[in-house]
Amino acid sequence: MTISPNEAGAMLADVDAIVARVKQSLIYRRAGEITILWGAIIVCGHLFDMAAPRWSLWEWRVADAVGVAATLVVMLRGRSSAGKRFPLRLLGAFALFFIFGFVWSELIGRFGPRELEAFWPTLFLFGYALAGLWFGAAFAALGLGLSALILAGYFWSGEWFALWLAVVNGGGFVLCGLWMRRA
Amino acid sequence: MNAPDETIHQPVRLRIMAALTALRASDEGLDFARLKSLTGATDGNLGAHIDHLARAGYVEVAKAFVARRPRTTVKASPAGRAAFDRHVAFLREIIART
Repeated sequence: MTISPNEAGAMLADVDAIVARVKQSLIYRRAGEITILWGAIIVCGHLFDMAAPRWSLWEWRVADAVGVAATLVVMLRGRSSAGKRFPLRLLGAFALFFIFGFVWSELIGRFGPRELEAFWPTLFLFGYALAGLWFGAAFAALGLGLSALILAGYFWSGEWFALWLAVVNGGGFVLCGLWMRRA
Repeated sequence: MNAPDETIHQPVRLRIMAALTALRASDEGLDFARLKSLTGATDGNLGAHIDHLARAGYVEVAKAFVARRPRTTVKASPAGRAAFDRHVAFLREIIART
């Protein structure tokens, strides 16, 4: 069998392209599961919020804790038994986002309920948009697209803002997650 | 110097092995539809190449029913991973010599 350097180069380029697609697909598959999970939590959170607004603060704390714990479980479940280490960096990232959000929304910003409802999802979607620079355009599209829709709702949805968030933010997460799993 | 692997050298089989070896050995493999999308092969063509690789002992094929639908999962065997690594090393040597 004779293979020219050009043919060898083309074959290696083909191999590299396939490997990159498989790795991207694995990232999207795992991220898709987590995105669907958060979408469901967001939908439930906003529906509960509309039903019992006086429990909003505690309800979101519980929802966030459940979301973080479930995300860690999904991350751990997807690793091989040999490399099953606790995803400390992910936990650290969550902690940084929550601390940053708390400092600005509660200590410095003193946001009202409507601002808080817009601030928290857009803060985390900003993280998605940043992740898109490293892990794939779908993250950036999700982060920027949903942020734009949330801001549109903030300005124009009136008293239906919570429902808007449940449908657009929660539903958007679920749809993007389903797409990511198939990508 | 490494030698070319006649089984893996064929372009579709090279793509199949590249996709399967990109996974960790502990992963469950890739399903038929995903491999079809990655390799750009037709159903019949892909099935024939998977059979060829399975006969060489380079892949393991598992068939199961998921939600009442047949699902074929293909995974690289240890021998297949080693053969693919040798073939890629052979291709790199060709380029390195120029």
